[in-house]
Amino acid sequence: MKNEKKRRKIKRHNARKHTVKKQKVGALGEVLYNCPYLIAVVVTSLAVMVCSDKIGIRAIAKDAETIVRQTMGNSVSVDEIPIDVASEPVSENGNVLENTGENNLEEMENAGERKEENDDIEGEDELENDGDALESAENTEETVVGVTKYEIYEPQEIDSYYYSDAGKVALTTEYPYTKENDSYFNDAVFLGDSRTLGISDYAGLDEADFYCDSGMMLFKLLAPEGVTYQKTGNKEDLTQVLQQKQYGKVYIMLGMNELGYGNTEMYLEQYRKVVDQIREWQPDAIIYIMANLHVSRAKNNPETEFNNININDKNAASASLANGIDIFYLDANPLFTDEEGYLNADWTFDGVHLYAQHYDVWREFLLEHAVEPKE
Amino acid sequence: MLFSGIGFLFRFLPAFMLIYLIVPAKFRNFVLLAGSLIFYGVGEPYFVLLLVFSVLINFCLNRYMFWEPRSPQQNRAKKRKRRKKIALCTSLVIDFGMLFVFKYWDFAAQTVNGLAGREITPILALTLPLGISFYTFQMVSYQVDCYRGTTKEPVGFVSFAAYVSMFPQLIAGPIVRYEEVADKMVSRKIGIRNLENGLKLFTVGLGLKVLLANQIGTLWNTIMSAGAGNLHITVAWLGAAAYSFQIYFDFWGYSVMAMGLGKMLGFRLPRNFNDPYVSRSISEFWRRWHITLGSWFREYVYIPMGGSRKGRFRTVCNLFIVWALTGLWHGADWNFVLWGLLFFVILTVEKNTYGKRLERTRVLGHIYTLLLIPITWVVFGISDMGQLTAYLGNMFGLHSTVALVGVQHFTRYLKEYWVLLIACFLFITPFPAQLYRKYRDRWFSVVVLLLIFWFSVHEIMVGSNNPFLYFRF
Repeated sequence: MKNEKKRRKIKRHNARKHTVKKQKVGALGEVLYNCPYLIAVVVTSLAVMVCSDKIGIRAIAKDAETIVRQTMGNSVSVDEIPIDVASEPVSENGNVLENTGENNLEEMENAGERKEENDDIEGEDELENDGDALESAENTEETVVGVTKYEIYEPQEIDSYYYSDAGKVALTTEYPYTKENDSYFNDAVFLGDSRTLGISDYAGLDEADFYCDSGMMLFKLLAPEGVTYQKTGNKEDLTQVLQQKQYGKVYIMLGMNELGYGNTEMYLEQYRKVVDQIREWQPDAIIYIMANLHVSRAKNNPETEFNNININDKNAASASLANGIDIFYLDANPLFTDEEGYLNADWTFDGVHLYAQHYDVWREFLLEHAVEPKE
Repeated sequence: MLFSGIGFLFRFLPAFMLIYLIVPAKFRNFVLLAGSLIFYGVGEPYFVLLLVFSVLINFCLNRYMFWEPRSPQQNRAKKRKRRKKIALCTSLVIDFGMLFVFKYWDFAAQTVNGLAGREITPILALTLPLGISFYTFQMVSYQVDCYRGTTKEPVGFVSFAAYVSMFPQLIAGPIVRYEEVADKMVSRKIGIRNLENGLKLFTVGLGLKVLLANQIGTLWNTIMSAGAGNLHITVAWLGAAAYSFQIYFDFWGYSVMAMGLGKMLGFRLPRNFNDPYVSRSISEFWRRWHITLGSWFREYVYIPMGGSRKGRFRTVCNLFIVWALTGLWHGADWNFVLWGLLFFVILTVEKNTYGKRLERTRVLGHIYTLLLIPITWVVFGISDMGQLTAYLGNMFGLHSTVALVGVQHFTRYLKEYWVLLIACFLFITPFPAQLYRKYRDRWFSVVVLLLIFWFSVHEIMVGSNNPFLYFRF
């Protein structure tokens, strides 16, 4: 009786063992069969995470380094962090920045303390040497034609890979500009991003050529993908266009989309490259470097790289390329900003772009800041 | 953390899912709670404490609601009822009080100061804690259900906290009632099919959000950037259509992603959208749009106030209150109140006159809905009253001067966006969902979904234009 029970039990046990084994073999196949998509996503993700700098293991390491650096409180040189210039721009997601609201307060205080002084240093040296710039600025008092001046203020500490506080705001290059009429733009070309697109759309400069796209960057301007020619709506390669047609004036306004892409040094380097290249192709043209407009207070975010300090940093860098002879820096910001330097909130919906009716003012500004082409 | 962000897709989600699947089933609620707090804490390092505090308080009050003293007492039932009432009222005051302070204080203060003509209440300028409108409503629904006896058993702390803070629905819904997940909270099976189908659903949502909503959103932004006062009637309607598409695909995409994630975790989260834009009337639209919010207001506001059972006048009053509150829930600004009241007017008129007849028509009802909905979204989308009236004026051709953004801009926008606009039109119909259900398990759907997934990731990497409209609520 007992034996029989035992035997039956063993039998049952063996049977179960058998089916379990069978299931195991089948289970793996079944899993593969049941979740092809899951597997596809996991496999491709692993592949991408190994290969890609942006979302992969290297990016995690970079994030970890940033966090460690912030918690340790010391500022290790950021030059070590590799950044791929030729690849796509980084969105805000990639980088963790810690910047509390205190900065905002400081910034407002600084804005109040801002004093207007002269600064005739050229080149990129002053970017790293704010103290020197301040000193030399105090010494210079005369107005010299062709000089680009800066409004100096006490810079604040910024812990960001993308920018630092330049401690100065670049002003329009000093020059006895003449006032011209619309025909001045007959041989003008505008190169820029969505803000230049606004000029094209609403400023009524119908004669000028506009090559611009939303999201355009200095790093993409001369790329073979081309830039949209607003008169036809087709993308055209600027390396071709600028070699084929001679312009009298070249207006450039780029930098908004570089705020979170590479640092200011790289921005300046690229700007210099572009300007040199255009100078080579357009030896007689006057090149106008236009300041990037500030953003509104609501859009200004010190916790990311999307803020006016960064914009000023980029603008000051680009202004250093002006020589007052055939390259000029034009700052239209005072037309559109409040006393604290924020884009006037009533004149913009998204805090970045002006309403259509305000581009007339901009056109007038450009007409009043015209330089006679050299003979 | 955003669902459509690299940090979520390639850091949080894989790490969390690994741990979640490895741990024994009885620890899953705890892992879910911990993961959700991390998910929330990364974006809101301070407000996560508010969330924890809120959960703790509500849990204690809920325990008090179910608490029974040991010693025999007289009037036992009466005292129990009193305890329940106290617990419910306290939790309502605390929950709505916090919501009020963080979300409505400044709005109320500005209104009061405006009426008084001087500053008698201070402006606090607080940041809105992420998802507070959603989790407050969820906790309130739980407390009320317990008070009413719909939920009979008190739940453990971890289950309760995990239910409130569950990351798929924490930030932007759906608003889940405890009853809907009660059994899954106790035990849930996570089969390989759940993971597979959940991930597929998530991908669909990601695609809706990144490939449709974000893309068409740039058209609305471009048009609004030019200034509402400058728009030709054609451009104004195009912008309104673009915004209607954006807000729908944004929120629907989010809800689908939440459902997909819920499925991967072993839950069944309720559906929030049921093809709202193919409705034949605005009443029908609201039965299909943000369903969980609509049913929350019906269940916890409209019906307790008497609903439609207490005569015509009371019904209209109740509708007025519900829609004013619905408007306010969406944002602390006058345009949201206006938006809610606009629906009050439309729905009252529909209910009393042509509503039923309209729903029986074949084409007219659709046209009626598709014309009215963009107008309501414009009211929703523009907080500045000057801009709003200008925009609405332009939609009805009331422009006095020549529009700066004229027909030539309209044709240019069409040229640029026509593919996207056609895609959006297709996706407001029920057909894509039908196709998805039919072909979900076929091999080629794997390829298509994989393309959607990686194309979305690419778009996320390239563009910085990736906001969630329904985020700060």
